[in-house]
Amino acid sequence: MADDMLAALVRPDKVHKRVYTDPAIFDLEMERIFGQAWIYVGHASQVPKPGDYWTTLIGREPVVMVRDRDGAIRVLYNRCPHKGAKLVADGCGHAGPLFRCPYHAWTFALDGRLRGVPFRQGYADTGFSLDDPQFSMRPVARIAERRGFVFCSLAEDGPGLEEYLGGALASIDNFADRAPEGEVEVAGGVMRVMQHSNWKIFFENLNDTGHPQATHESSFAAARRTVREKLGGKTPFQLHIIEGNGEPNSFWESLELRCYDHGHSYMDAIFNAPTDAISLEYRGQLEAAYGVERAQAILSMNRHNTIIYPSCSPHTGFQQLRVIRPISIDRTLVEIFTFRLKGTSDAFFQRTISYTNIVNSPSSTVMVDDVEVYRRCQEGMASDGGDWISQHRMAGHDTPFEGGLLGAGISEVPMRNQFRAWASYMGEAVA
Amino acid sequence: MIADPLLTHAAADYLFREAELLDGRRWEDWDALFAEDGMYWVPLRHDQQDPLNHASLFYEDAILRDVRRRRLEEKHAWSQQPVTRTARIVGNVRIVAQDGEGLRVRSAFQISEWRQGRDQRQLAGHYTHDLVGTAPGEWRIALKRVDLINCDGIQDCYEVFL
Repeated sequence: MADDMLAALVRPDKVHKRVYTDPAIFDLEMERIFGQAWIYVGHASQVPKPGDYWTTLIGREPVVMVRDRDGAIRVLYNRCPHKGAKLVADGCGHAGPLFRCPYHAWTFALDGRLRGVPFRQGYADTGFSLDDPQFSMRPVARIAERRGFVFCSLAEDGPGLEEYLGGALASIDNFADRAPEGEVEVAGGVMRVMQHSNWKIFFENLNDTGHPQATHESSFAAARRTVREKLGGKTPFQLHIIEGNGEPNSFWESLELRCYDHGHSYMDAIFNAPTDAISLEYRGQLEAAYGVERAQAILSMNRHNTIIYPSCSPHTGFQQLRVIRPISIDRTLVEIFTFRLKGTSDAFFQRTISYTNIVNSPSSTVMVDDVEVYRRCQEGMASDGGDWISQHRMAGHDTPFEGGLLGAGISEVPMRNQFRAWASYMGEAVA
Repeated sequence: MIADPLLTHAAADYLFREAELLDGRRWEDWDALFAEDGMYWVPLRHDQQDPLNHASLFYEDAILRDVRRRRLEEKHAWSQQPVTRTARIVGNVRIVAQDGEGLRVRSAFQISEWRQGRDQRQLAGHYTHDLVGTAPGEWRIALKRVDLINCDGIQDCYEVFL
């Protein structure tokens, strides 16, 4: 497809349905977006010791993140240069001192360099060489780490990670700053949910303040009835996080939506910081580590979902990270990671786990309705009932600032901002 | 351990009745089977021992079960239009532990789950029921643990109790 045709699919206040339904566009996205942007790969705490590895996808490319013997983190294509076999099985594991292919036992150092091949005499005078990079595992073009969060880019050139993240960088720093020891670690398991819809639909929803009251009515209405009929009107933590979606229009209008170049954005927190004994103990730990003033500054950066386009979304307040992996034009895998703030109590972490179970589990009474409406979008978009997807809410009212756009609480500016980035990756910038 | 055949029969009957309540979407009657502090747990990992410091597919007390069952009947539960239908078979029922206060019952299950317009899904795994009470008529569920064979796999959403 010609680049000018691609650019014509994105307008300032609407996008053409083809961006969600055309497999040829998905193929181009894998090449032009996921082949260029910084993509979240994993967290350093998932590979604590040399030889530990974690596999994932960058676009369609299977990669393995591994801790090398010198302590550095490497990210390599999970592909044997001999026959192409994936060298390690999907998931996490320990390679030992070397990667060893299960097919013909070629071995590779943890930085990917070929170390040995059986039947060496057969390679004499063939052009094969242990030192030739084409016979080693290929490293990804660029790797960068921030507070343990590892990102990769498959492109040699482009902005560095910090420049790329812009104002979203503060969400990653704040995620780690919230730990009294200044470090976080992946803990408590990973959940994987398959959505039957295009990956962009999920990203658009993450900062969509217009949907909670309608989409999540069933869960917040049920929670309210439980509170009224079973709990004498008192809302426990576990229902507070379900009921939040039922806030009235004025609440959503009062929020702020801050968008940055490259598609990133965040919305203000929708849950107030709890004031129970666990939270007070935590605040005390943070004050002891940082001092009262700095602790207050850390906690007052209270963001709900941050969007790090196009690969992940941290929720700093409850230590969640959702990682988005497009599988095909109408399939999206979302992986949910929970983090422990180093220096906090088990009780604090158990509440984090409770949030994971209630909000991000495949059984979440909240998320099921999201996933249902995403699928209905995907099915409806395929129809001939219309060609355009509206993003008109407060269009024309975005306030530019250095490096981004500011929108009022109910604005669809995060979606417009995502497509500004999309168009720039895919072809020409939108006028 | 070879349990008293009559007791095993009573335990199996208890599980069959529970299955009937779930397949019939009789959530309130099902929830009444639980002891006051009874828990419904579907681990995320095989052999998961800890439901507090590790995420689970479900880990629900009376309050969370109450929200789930009410939500399933909400008019605007979009993902229940139309509702989820299930049929399950429970078998291999064995009493694996027993003391004066109750017993532990292990079983295997197969659940077929279907919604109009969606693919039919087959679920399989093992149930472990910790029942408290000295006689079958007094049994209450202290813990229902559901170990799915694919608990650590990629999941579509879960809506109804398994």
